[in-house]
Amino acid sequence: MPASSATATLNVSAVSGAHEDTNELFARWQHDEDRAAREALVRRFMPLTRSLTRRYGRSSEPFEDLLQVASLGLLKAIDRYDATRGHAFQSFAVPTILGEMRRYFRDSGWAIHVPRGAQERALKVRDAQAQIAGETGHAPTVNQLAEFLELDVEQVIDALQAIQAYETVSLDAPRPGGDEEAPSYGETLGMDDERYELVELDVTLSSVLGHISPRQRMILRMRFMEDLTQTEIAERVGISQMQVSRLLRRSLDQLRMLTREPAEAR
Amino acid sequence: MPNICLKLANKAENVLLVRQALSGLAEVILLDPVELNDLNTAVTEACNNVVLHAYDGAEGPLEVEIHACPPALRVVVRDYGGGIKPRVQNAENAPGGIGLPVIRALAHRAEFVDLDPGPGTEVRMEFSTAAPPTLEEPATELLFEFPPAGSHEPAETMVLAIAPSSLARSVLPRVLSGLAARAHFSTDRIAEAQLLADTLITRTDGSLGASHLSVDVGVAPRVLGLRLGPLHAGSAGELLGEDGDGRDLCGMLDRLADAYEVAPAGSSEVLALQLAARR
Repeated sequence: MPASSATATLNVSAVSGAHEDTNELFARWQHDEDRAAREALVRRFMPLTRSLTRRYGRSSEPFEDLLQVASLGLLKAIDRYDATRGHAFQSFAVPTILGEMRRYFRDSGWAIHVPRGAQERALKVRDAQAQIAGETGHAPTVNQLAEFLELDVEQVIDALQAIQAYETVSLDAPRPGGDEEAPSYGETLGMDDERYELVELDVTLSSVLGHISPRQRMILRMRFMEDLTQTEIAERVGISQMQVSRLLRRSLDQLRMLTREPAEAR
Repeated sequence: MPNICLKLANKAENVLLVRQALSGLAEVILLDPVELNDLNTAVTEACNNVVLHAYDGAEGPLEVEIHACPPALRVVVRDYGGGIKPRVQNAENAPGGIGLPVIRALAHRAEFVDLDPGPGTEVRMEFSTAAPPTLEEPATELLFEFPPAGSHEPAETMVLAIAPSSLARSVLPRVLSGLAARAHFSTDRIAEAQLLADTLITRTDGSLGASHLSVDVGVAPRVLGLRLGPLHAGSAGELLGEDGDGRDLCGMLDRLADAYEVAPAGSSEVLALQLAARR
């Protein structure tokens, strides 16, 4: 029964190890290759590892995956730590563990996945928003959304930013009022149909919407999601129809530029 | 000169506002998510130190300055308390004690400086970034001193100063969303507050009497009080006047704000408005 007796040893040493000197444990592992000592060190510094994962992985999920990466960093730190240098293990372990998580973020394409995860969360928030509004007749507060979705307030606030971007993208939403009649977009004087332009841009749009202002996003939303005419938007926002026209033009040009650049760079 | 200054109370919930400001900044200078995560984590640690340790449980100011001219980003987190001495030794047993090692690990450079004259501490952090240098450094530091808020002294205030206006348009709406959420605004009302803030930044840009737009926000239950300045004397009246485009701004304020006025402030003036949560 080597396996179970080893486990028993580990448990005992983990408990008794709580009072054992950290340097002593390092000596036992690094010089005597005592795996129980290594295990005791892992247990001792697991709270540190968890804490670092929580702090650094704030906007990452799932937590358990990242904790595994961080634990790997802890093992590396335990194996490489040189106690004779006189530094506390902690000051060596923190950068090693953070470095491991950082490398994981870079290698796994986390930089791309995070915005995607945020967008999914934004969809949930948007749906909850509609549901609560439907039930109560009022748009919910951030706290209500946070409670409803079991998210923290900050996650909801971030999601609300992303929603503004998302809503402008969802051009496939059915237009109210059916489509037998001539499109209302054409009603505006002297306007090209910007809607088609936006459809063209659709695929890459979500990645760049963050680069236009909230006001531009809101006007785009009113125009394309709520189907308001430029004149109606002008009334709602309190600017002239010409200004709405200019803003729409500018937003579309900006988005076109932003969505083109990466494609041409390839 | 910093691009962003924040003056807040050292409350745990205010650290969220600092992160919102950093997210707004990241959007403008095209910081990649991993760099933003490093920045967020380190700055959060420095702020949490001020929240937890600087004033020994009492309340005091938390100041954050952000210099945002790549390739280096510099952030200073300052307090005027007696606490947060580096506590690196023995920190494994102290909750919150890994903050300083985290800062050291994530920042390209980090210094912990006692203010002279004290009391107080500055954590000065420098982050390297691959982001292109898109922002210019503001010429002068002019943290505008708002006069006392008057009759409705809000429960809590914070002051931001931001330059240039392109940065303000990304940072202020985000910070406002955090404050509006606290004041129990609905999500629709938050969007309106953001729209209004964005419009005001754009419209007052030419009338600013300083390199930075300063904004003072008072938070009370279901009400936000906003003051923007400093504006050249007479310019706020012009913006709101009947002539030219000013009428548009007035119409918008009539619709979206619950009260607004131009108030004198020394040799310049400020635009003050109140936003209620509504329903």
